[in-house]
Amino acid sequence: MAKSLSREIRFLSKDKGAVFWLALAFTLSVIAVSFGVSEVREQRETIATLLEEDALDRASALEGHEEWGSAAYYAFHFTYAPPSDFAFASMGQRDTAPWKHRVRMLALEGQIHEADTRNANFGLVGRFDFAFLAASVAPLLLILLLYDLRASERTARRHDLLVATAGASSRLWLPRAIVRVGALATLLLAPLWVASAIEGTGAGMSLQASAIVIGSLLVWWLIVELVSRINATPSVLLTSLIGLWLALAIVVPALSKFAIEAANPVPDGGEILLLQRETVNDAWDLPKEATMEPFVAEHPEYAAHAVIEETWAWNWYYAFQQVGDQAAAPLVQQYRDARVERDRQARLAAFISPTSFVERSFEKLAGTDALSMIAYEDAVRNFHEELRAFHYPLMFPEAPYDEALLEDLPAYTPPS
Amino acid sequence: MTSPLEARSLSLVREGNAVLDGVSFAVQQGEIFALLGGNGAGKSSTLLTFLGFLEPSGGEVLVNGASVSSDVAAARNAIAYLPEAASLYGHMNAYENLDYFLDLAGKSAGRSEIDAALERVALPPEARTRRLHSYSKGMRQKTAIALALLRETPILLLDEPTSGLDPVAIDEFHDLVKALATGGQTILMVTHDVYGACQVADRVGLIRDGKLVGSFAAEDGERIDTETVHAAFAGRGVA
Repeated sequence: MAKSLSREIRFLSKDKGAVFWLALAFTLSVIAVSFGVSEVREQRETIATLLEEDALDRASALEGHEEWGSAAYYAFHFTYAPPSDFAFASMGQRDTAPWKHRVRMLALEGQIHEADTRNANFGLVGRFDFAFLAASVAPLLLILLLYDLRASERTARRHDLLVATAGASSRLWLPRAIVRVGALATLLLAPLWVASAIEGTGAGMSLQASAIVIGSLLVWWLIVELVSRINATPSVLLTSLIGLWLALAIVVPALSKFAIEAANPVPDGGEILLLQRETVNDAWDLPKEATMEPFVAEHPEYAAHAVIEETWAWNWYYAFQQVGDQAAAPLVQQYRDARVERDRQARLAAFISPTSFVERSFEKLAGTDALSMIAYEDAVRNFHEELRAFHYPLMFPEAPYDEALLEDLPAYTPPS
Repeated sequence: MTSPLEARSLSLVREGNAVLDGVSFAVQQGEIFALLGGNGAGKSSTLLTFLGFLEPSGGEVLVNGASVSSDVAAARNAIAYLPEAASLYGHMNAYENLDYFLDLAGKSAGRSEIDAALERVALPPEARTRRLHSYSKGMRQKTAIALALLRETPILLLDEPTSGLDPVAIDEFHDLVKALATGGQTILMVTHDVYGACQVADRVGLIRDGKLVGSFAAEDGERIDTETVHAAFAGRGVA
C-alpha cells in the first residue's frame, strides 16, 4: 500500500486541478483560523480592558455613600464568558448570544435580555470560522477532488487500461482516493494545529477536533464513492453530488430548524424585558404591600422589615426590583427550557446532516454552544443572587453603613 | 497442454441483445490469433471478457487454464492490454506515464529499459520528455505499446492496435508483434483490417454478429491468403 500511496502522491502533484483545490483548502483554512484567532484575541482584550475599568469605576462609585441602598445602586459589576482556548475554531453562539454584561443590584432579567438583539448581522450571515469551513466548505472541496476519479477516466477512455494494468480496482482507486482525502484533511487541519499550539489548546481537544474533521470527510467520501459508482458522465455525477450537498448541508438543517422552532416556541427576550420593567414601573403606583408581600413570600427572613411607612425607602425599591424578576421568572424559565429543548432536538436532527453534526461538535468543544451560553446566563444569575445575599442582610435590618464591609462584595466568577 | 487463452462456448447478452453467441477458440503459446470482424461484430467484447470487464452470460473464458470469473486479478496480471486509441495521461511525458503505469502493474523499470522499449516502438528521443497532449495519435499509441512491452506479460491483448498509425509504423508494429510471438508471448488481437490481420497472424478467426463464422490458418510458413479472407469478410463465402 505504501508504494501505491507514494505513486498516487506523485500523480496528484502533477494534477493541476487537484492541486488548485488543495491549495484553496489550505488558504481558506489559514483565513478561517486567522479570523478566529483575531476575534478571540479582540474579545480577550475587551474583557481585560473592561475588567480593569470596571474595578476602577466601582471603586469610584462606592465612595462617599451613607446608605447600603445607594452604594448598591451605583456599583456596576462586569460579568463575562471568556472565550475558551479553542473558541477561535468555532465562534458558534457567541455571535448571537451576549457574552458580557454589566449588571447591578436592580432587577436582573431586563439587564440580561436588553442585549438580546446584538450581533444581529452575524446571526443573519454567519461567520467564516474553521467550524464552518470544516462542516460546509470541506465537503464541497472533497466532492470536487473525488467526483470524477472514475468518470473522468471513462470519458478519457483510460479506465479499462488503468484497471487492467492495476489488476484489481482496489489497487488503483483506493490509494488514489486515500491520497486526496488525506491531503485535504492534512491541509485543512495544519493551520488548526498551528493555531491550537499558539492558543494553548489541549492536545486532547485538538485530537478530538481532528477526529471530527476526518470523520466528516470519511462520511462524505462514502457518499461520493456510492454516487460515483453510477455509470454516468462527470457532469451528471457532479450535479448529483452538489444536489446531495445542498440537501444535507442546507435543506435538511433549514427544515430541521424550522420544524424545531415551530414545535418549541420561545418567548423573545423583549417580552421578558417588558414584563419585568412593567412590573417594576407599576410598583411605583401600587400600595407598598403589593410589593412587599410577594417579596416576603420569597424572603420570609425579612418579614419583620416588610412594613414600609416612608414614602420612599431603599428596601422597598430593591424589593420591587426583585418582584420584577419574580414576575418574569415563569417566562424566563419557559425561555430557558425551550432553548434547552430546541438544543436537544437539534442535536438529534444533526445526525441526519453531517454539516450540522460537525458544526455542533465544534461548538461543544469550543464552549460556544447554546448550553454554554445558557450556563453563562446562569452564572450571571448566580452572581446576582450573591449580590442580593450580600446586600439584603445589611440593607433590610438597616444595619449601620460601613464602607469597609464593601471590600467583601462578591466577585464574579465566569463559568468554567 | 493448457492454452494461455481459451473461450469456451462464450455467450454475452447486453441490454437484451446477444453480443456473443457460442464463441469458442483457443490461442496457443507463441501464437498470434487475429479476431477479424466489422463494427459491432463482438470483437472488443470478446477481449473485455478476458479482462473481466464483461461477465459471460454463458460459457466461460480461461486465462492460463483458470476461469477469469474465479480470479480476475490473476488474469489481468498475466495480460498486457493495448486498447484502441490508448489514452495515456496528456499532462505527463512518456517517461512519467510509463513509470506510473508500470508502478500500477507492480513492476519497475529503469530509464535505460524504458528507453530501450521506446526505441523498439520508434518513439523519437526528443519526444520522450514532452507531455503526451502534444503527441500525435500514432505517438501516443507507440507509448502505449512500449508499456505493453515493458510489462513483459505472457499474454498480449491488442484492440485495433494499428489504428492511427502510418503505414511505416504499421509495418514496424507488425514486425514487433511477430518478434514478441517468436519470443513466446501469446497474442490475441482484434481488428477490422483484413490485410493487417493476414500479414501478422498465425490464425484469423472471422466473427460476425457475435458468432465465430470462419477460421483461416497460415500453412507451411506462408501468410494467410488475404483474398480468401477478404471474400469471407465481405460475405462472399467462408472457408
